[in-house]
Amino acid sequence: MPKMLPLEDGYMIIPEKAGEPCRLLGSYSKAAKKSFFPIRKLCPITSEPVETVELSPEGILYSWSFIRMPKLGSRVMAEGGGQGVGQIDLPEGVRVQSPIDGQMGDWKIGMKMRLVPNPVVTDEDGTVYCGFKFTPVKE
Amino acid sequence: MNRDVYIIGVGMHRFSKDGIPLRDMYFTAGMEALKDAGIKFRDVGALYNGYIGGSMTEGIGFSKDLGLTGVPITHVENASATGSSAFREAVWAVSGGEADVAMAIGYDDMLRGMGNPMAKVNTKKKKMPSMENIMLPAGFFAMWAVRRMHENGTTVETYAKIAAKNWNHGKHNPMAQRRADHVVTAEEVLAADMIAYPHTAMMACAAGAGAAGAIVATEAWAKKHANGRPMIKVLASQSQSERYTDGHIFMGAVVGPSYSTEITSKMAYEEAGLGPKDLSFVHVHDAFPVEELMYYELLGICGPGEGDRLINDGDTAIGGRIPFSPDGGLIARGHPGGPTGLAQIWDATRQLRGEQDKFQVEGARTGLVHMMGAGSICVVHILQRV
Repeated sequence: MPKMLPLEDGYMIIPEKAGEPCRLLGSYSKAAKKSFFPIRKLCPITSEPVETVELSPEGILYSWSFIRMPKLGSRVMAEGGGQGVGQIDLPEGVRVQSPIDGQMGDWKIGMKMRLVPNPVVTDEDGTVYCGFKFTPVKE
Repeated sequence: MNRDVYIIGVGMHRFSKDGIPLRDMYFTAGMEALKDAGIKFRDVGALYNGYIGGSMTEGIGFSKDLGLTGVPITHVENASATGSSAFREAVWAVSGGEADVAMAIGYDDMLRGMGNPMAKVNTKKKKMPSMENIMLPAGFFAMWAVRRMHENGTTVETYAKIAAKNWNHGKHNPMAQRRADHVVTAEEVLAADMIAYPHTAMMACAAGAGAAGAIVATEAWAKKHANGRPMIKVLASQSQSERYTDGHIFMGAVVGPSYSTEITSKMAYEEAGLGPKDLSFVHVHDAFPVEELMYYELLGICGPGEGDRLINDGDTAIGGRIPFSPDGGLIARGHPGGPTGLAQIWDATRQLRGEQDKFQVEGARTGLVHMMGAGSICVVHILQRV
């Protein structure tokens, strides 16, 4: 399996061990008792310090669309003529915007979604740099 | 406001994709506004240039075509709300006493690239696309539309009716980028290419280039330069950035949590001392029809969940109870970026003077002008004929 790294530091963790879920990195404010994504420098509600936390890898689809636009990092239209996009509510009360796997007809508001790496660029040495996306969970 | 502020001149260069140099568009908009006001550039005490794309000194360079008068010039950028924010700065310059006459000119070409989704960030290894560009505004608004359908039972036909209305409003506007040569129907809008479900290409704002300007002044200047026309007073000027709310989205395109419009308009109504029932027409950031639908409710024009009925009853068309985007809005008049909010001011001022001929809102006395900028920011002005 090729080595996978996040496109940028500070947004997500991709475990080296196969089978373990990747996770988004967020902030938790003890003062406001709220979580945020991505990481905040201070609590946006109280301006108190926050701590970095790993967010749940699964959430619920709040809304979706299929857009006829290239994927992140590309100027070429994706296979299938576009890509799915969604807003996913994580159990911590965080709403995340993200590409989603699937085609028109695959998505339903309220369905369970799981975070997975989204390969964007492959380096000369075979390292795959990834963003993130969510994929429907078959129940 | 410390001093009363009046709009004494407005000017525009037609929005288009014709490749006209932006420097020429800027000059036309500026000169038309000066001509409309009946003043010279040397009379302007503060100038605010609004543009999103372009190089560091572009706006100042363009302004040299109007004259070298030593006027203080400031570059303003607030995404789609750039022109509205430049106008607000001009209003505050006059209100606060910095200048008796202030000018805002917005220009841009949406097609020359702003907010490049290919923008790179430095990583340890090499330059990579930024994670922050994970979502474009078209996707963001499409998800608003899908959620609205889920929660309120709104249909794609309703979105198509809003877009068709605005195409038909823009038909008679000589400054509009899209001027249909026939009556546009909801069926035609729905038959266009799907770009971001449920939005078709005819539901999306027209991307192109253009310029617009406005000149504001004190009451004394306004009286002196009224030239027999009604005076147009700025009753309210309000702007708000985001506040935290449940489900707050920080990453990717965000063009205002919906409450931004609700809060900012309430502040504007309070400043103006009037309410939604007093409005003759409304301009909004209608980049996609779901926005206009939501703003019916968020601006208090109707109750929550009642917006669909307004469009189905024709209330928001010219001739209806409260016309929205009488000049065609972002969908038909166009949305180059920098000048968009000032194009709204151009139309609102001329509507209040009774100068808009075939797209005139009869008896227009008070207008509300609303704009959202990605990031995000909300700007609301209320104007009145006095």
